[in-house]
Amino acid sequence: MEPAVSIRDLAYTYRGQKGPALHGVSLDVAQGEFVVIMGHSGAGKSTLCTSLNGLIPHFFRGRMQGEVLIEGRSTREGKVGEFAKDVGLVFQDFEAQLFSTNVALEVAFGPENFEVDREEMVRRVKSVLSQVKLEGFEGRQPATLSGGQKQRLAIASVLAMEPSILCLDEPTTDLDPIGKLGIFEIAEELKDRDDVTLIVVEHETEETLDADRIVVLRDGRIAADRPAREVLRDVALLEESSVMPLGVARFFREKGVEELPLTPEEGLERFKRLGWRVSPERHGELVEADEERERGYGEALIEVEGLSHRYPNGVVALESVDLEVRRGEFLAVLGQNGSGKTTLVKHFNGLLEPTEGSVRVEGEETAEQGIRRLGQRVGYVFQNPDHQIFSDTVFDEVAFGPKVRGFEEDEITERVSEALAAVGLEGYEEEDPFGLTKGERQRVAVASVLAVRPDVLILDEPTTGLDYAEQRSMMDLVRRLNEAGSTIIAVTHTMWVVAEYAHRAVVMKDGRTALSGTVREVFGKEEELRDAALRPPHIVSLGNSLGHTVLSVEEMLGVTEGG
Amino acid sequence: MDPFLYLDRDTWVHRLDPRTKMLLLIGAFVLAFLFVNPLYGLGVLAVVLAFGAAAKSLVNLKRIWFILFMIAVMTVILWTVFGSGVSPLFWFVEYEALLYGIGAALRIDIMIVAGMIFLSTTRNEEIVTGLVKLGIPYRFAFAVSTALRLVPTIAATGSTIGQAQRSRGLDLESGNIIQRVRKNTPLLIPVFVSTIRSTNVFSMALESKGFGASKERTYFLRLAMGRRDAVVLLVFALMLIAAVTLRLMGYGGVEGFSR
Amino acid sequence: MKEIFTMWRHTQMVVLVALSAAIYAAVLIPFKGFTIIPGFTEVRPANVFPFVFGLLFGPAGAWGAAIGNLIGDFFGTLGPGSIAGFIGNFFLGFLPYKMWGSFFRRGENMEQNVNSGKKLAVYIAITILASAICAVWIAWFNDLIGFVPFAALASIITVNNAIAGLVLGPILLLVLYPRVKRWGLLWTEIMSPDEVPASRFQRLGNLLMWVGGLGGLIVGLALGLGLYEQGIAAAGFAPTAGGAGGLTIGLALLPFLILIVVASFLLGGREQVEAAEEETSR
Repeated sequence: MEPAVSIRDLAYTYRGQKGPALHGVSLDVAQGEFVVIMGHSGAGKSTLCTSLNGLIPHFFRGRMQGEVLIEGRSTREGKVGEFAKDVGLVFQDFEAQLFSTNVALEVAFGPENFEVDREEMVRRVKSVLSQVKLEGFEGRQPATLSGGQKQRLAIASVLAMEPSILCLDEPTTDLDPIGKLGIFEIAEELKDRDDVTLIVVEHETEETLDADRIVVLRDGRIAADRPAREVLRDVALLEESSVMPLGVARFFREKGVEELPLTPEEGLERFKRLGWRVSPERHGELVEADEERERGYGEALIEVEGLSHRYPNGVVALESVDLEVRRGEFLAVLGQNGSGKTTLVKHFNGLLEPTEGSVRVEGEETAEQGIRRLGQRVGYVFQNPDHQIFSDTVFDEVAFGPKVRGFEEDEITERVSEALAAVGLEGYEEEDPFGLTKGERQRVAVASVLAVRPDVLILDEPTTGLDYAEQRSMMDLVRRLNEAGSTIIAVTHTMWVVAEYAHRAVVMKDGRTALSGTVREVFGKEEELRDAALRPPHIVSLGNSLGHTVLSVEEMLGVTEGG
Repeated sequence: MDPFLYLDRDTWVHRLDPRTKMLLLIGAFVLAFLFVNPLYGLGVLAVVLAFGAAAKSLVNLKRIWFILFMIAVMTVILWTVFGSGVSPLFWFVEYEALLYGIGAALRIDIMIVAGMIFLSTTRNEEIVTGLVKLGIPYRFAFAVSTALRLVPTIAATGSTIGQAQRSRGLDLESGNIIQRVRKNTPLLIPVFVSTIRSTNVFSMALESKGFGASKERTYFLRLAMGRRDAVVLLVFALMLIAAVTLRLMGYGGVEGFSR
Repeated sequence: MKEIFTMWRHTQMVVLVALSAAIYAAVLIPFKGFTIIPGFTEVRPANVFPFVFGLLFGPAGAWGAAIGNLIGDFFGTLGPGSIAGFIGNFFLGFLPYKMWGSFFRRGENMEQNVNSGKKLAVYIAITILASAICAVWIAWFNDLIGFVPFAALASIITVNNAIAGLVLGPILLLVLYPRVKRWGLLWTEIMSPDEVPASRFQRLGNLLMWVGGLGGLIVGLALGLGLYEQGIAAAGFAPTAGGAGGLTIGLALLPFLILIVVASFLLGGREQVEAAEEETSR
C-alpha cells in the first residue's frame, strides 16, 4: 500500500540563510502509523513539518530540492490551502493559531474555507470538540481558555477538516503538567485510529514510549529511524543528538546491562531480578549531605507569614501561606497554572502586595519598600525574554537596569561585562538582541537582571522553549550563580530540573502550600505530588519504589549495590 | 478580564438580527442628532434608556459613566466658550451657548449610550457576520474579527511587559512630559515585537487551514431576519419619521445661537 | 490608491492588519496616558503606532490604524465620531508610506529606517502633516454634526499625534526596522510593483497634500476662532446665525478635503516596491 507520506531526498535552504536546514532527508510514513520526531533546536524538525502541507515550498521563499509526496501527490503542485484537507498541521505557539472570537467558530473556520455545508459543519464541531474534551465550550472566548485548552482547541480546529495525516509540532512545550496530560491523552486516542497517521515532534522523551517509530534528526539529517523502543534504548545516540535519554535506561546502561528497561516499572522488575539492592548507608550519606547544606544557609532573606492574596475581581489566589527563604538557598516553586505559584513569587519583588498577612524582604515589609527599592535586592527574570528586550544592542539592554538607577558610566560598563560573563555571553555587547536564539535571549534577560547585583534571583520558567542541551546549559549557569552566593527561586514545572538542581521545593495547590521541604523529602511523596498534578522523573520513581528517594541517575548509581 | 461590553442575557433585543440592531443604532444616532434643544434631547434619552432597560444592558453604564460625565462637562464648557448667543448670563457666558452646550453634551452621551447598548446585546462574531452579510468583503471582516479576538491577549501581554520592566526599575512617573513619553519605549517595543513576531506563524496557520483555498466559503453562523425584526424596524421607522417632521416644523432648535 | 485593495490578496498583509489593529486597540486602553480633554483625546504614547505601522506595513498599517481605533471605541465610546476616527486614523497610517517615496529621487536609498539626516527630516515633516490631516478630518466631522468645536479638537489632535510621533517614532523605527525586515514583513517586500500605482505626478501630489492638509487646518482654526468676520464679510457672505451645526466650517473645509483625496490618488508608491526588489536581488 502506498505510504501516506513519502519524503524523498528533501533538502531545503531558507532565503537569507547560508546553510541548508535539511540536507537530503528521506522518510516514509505508512497509513495509521504514529511517528515521533526528536532532535535539538535547529535540527530541522519544524522545517520537516512545514514541508508536509506545502508551506514549504509555497509560503517560504527558499530553495527546495527533492520531493514530498502526500498520498502520492507532490507538494510542489497546488496551493497550501489544497493540502490542508489531507494534512492537518498544529504549531507550537497556541496563541498564534487561533483567530476567532468564539470556540465554535474557530473549529468551523477550516470547513468554512472548504465550503462544507452548514449542517455538516455543526455535526463536525460537536464531534471534534468532544474528541478534544472541550464539549460545551462552543460559546467561550479563546482568550478565557487556559494554555492547554487553547492547544486542544487548535487541534480540534485542524481535526474538523478531517485530515488523514495529522502533524503536531511540539504541542506541549509551553504547557503546564495538566495541559500536557490533556494533549497526550488526545494523542493516545488518535494513534489508535487506523484512519489517522500521526506525526508528533516531541521533547519529552518520557512520553514517546507509545510511538511506533522514532526519527531522530541531527543537523538537518536523519540520525536514526527505528522502532520507538530501539531508539529509546540507544542512550548514546540520544545523548549525541542532544535529546534527553530516559533516566531508567541510562541508569541500566551505566551498569552495563543489555536489553535496557525503559519505564520505572520495567526498571523495578529488572532491579529485583538482578538481585541488586539500595544501600541504606550510602543513601543515608545523601540525606546527611542535604542536612549539612541546610545548616550552611545564611539568614532569612524573605519571610512570608499568613500571606493571602485576593485579586480585585474576587479570585483568591493565595491563602495563608507561610514560607522562609534563606540566603544561599536554591528553592523551586512547583504547581500547575492557577495554583498560585506565580502570584506568590510576585510578592517578593513588590509587584503584588498582600491583602492579608505579611511579606518581609531583608527584614522590611515589601509594602513599605516599593518595587524600585525591592528591585535592587530581588531580581525577577520573566518567562518570555521578548517581553523585556527593547534595545538595539545587548550592551544597552543589560545596561538598562543600572542606568535607570543612576550609576556612572564606568560602573555601568563594568557591571555589564560582569553580568555577561556570568551568563556565558562575553563579547556579545554589540550583538543584536532580537537576532539571538531563544536560549541566548533568555541569558540576556538574566544578565540584565544580574547587572543590578540583587541578592535574590527569581526565575520564571527558565527552561521553557529550550532543547535538552540548552536547558542543561541554562541550569548549570543558575547553579554557578547559586554557588557564587545568589539565592535562587525558580518557578518551574520541569521536574528533572528541580530534582537535579534545586535544594528545596514548595508545591502549591489551590493557593496553599501542599508540600514543602528538601527536594528529596518532597519527591518522596508521590501521591501528594499526583494530587497536585505533578509527577517526579522516572529515575526518582524508580528509587521511590525501592524505598529510597534518589534525585538523579548519578545518585542512583551511587547507592546501588550489586552488578 | 473581559474588556468587551457584551452581556449574555436572553432578551428580545438580544434575539434580533445584528443587522437590525445596526440599523437601529444608526437610527438612534439620527434621532439624537436631530434635536439640539436639551428638552427634546431628554425625550430621546428616555427612549434610548427604555430600550436599554428592555435589553438589560443598563448595568454597563457603571463601566462608562466616567467617560459620559467627562464628555458632558467638557462639551458644555467648550461650546459655552466658543459659541455665542444673544442673552448674556454672567461673565462671557450667554444663555443660548450654554443651552446649546448642554444639548450637544446630551446628544453625544445619548449616542454613546446607544452604542453601549448595541455592544451589550451583540456578540463580536455577530457584528462581523452582520457586516459580511451587508456586503463587507470577507477578508476585511476577518481582519476585524481576528483583531477583536486578540485584543484581550495583547492587553494582558502589555500588562506583563509593564510588570517586567517595572521590576527592572522603569519609572514612568518622573520627568517632564517629553521624558515621560520617551520612557514608554521599553513598553511599546516589546509589545510590538512579541506580537508582530508571530505574523508568520499566524499566516502559516491560516493557510494550513485552507484560507484562500477556494474562492467561495460557507458560513457557520446563520443569520435570519424574522418577523420580530420587521416589527421593530417598522415601529422605529415611524418614530423617526415623526421626529423628523417635528424638527422640520421648527421644534427642537436653539434660537439665537451662533458659533 | 489601488494598493489599499490589492494588499488583501496577501495572507501576511491580512494578518498584519489584524495584528496592527489589535496592538493599537490594546494599548489605547491600559496605557491611558496624560489626559487633555477626557473622553476626547489625551497624549497617548500609543499614538506613535499608526506612523510606525504605516511606514513599515504600508496599506496594512493604514487599515490597521483605522480598524484599531474603531475597536478601541468598542470598549466604551462607539458613536458617529467613530466614523471620523476611522477615516482620520486611516490617513495617519496612510500618509507616512504614501508620501515617503515622493521625497526621494530614483536611485536614492529609500528604505524606511530613519537613519540619516534627510530621512529624519522627511519623517518629521510627514509626521506633522499627517497629524494635521488626521485632525482636520476628525475635527471637521465632529464640528459638522455639532459635537465639538473645530478649533479645540483640531489643535488637540494635531499636537497629541505629533508629540507621540516625533518623540517616539524615530527610536522605534530605528530599533524595529531591521527586525521587521529580517522577518520579511516590510510591505515593500511583500507586495509586487504591479499592485501599487505608478508615481507619475508625485511632486504635484506631495504639494497638494500640504496645501490640503495645512491649509485645511489653518482655515479651520481661523474660522473657528472667530477670525472669519473679516474674511467672509469681505467676500460678501453673511455670517450664519442660530440653528445647529453652523455650516461655515463644514463647507469651507470641503475644498481642502477634496484636495487631500485627489493628492492621495496622485501619489504612487511603486518606486518604493521596485527599490526594495532591487535591494533583494543585489
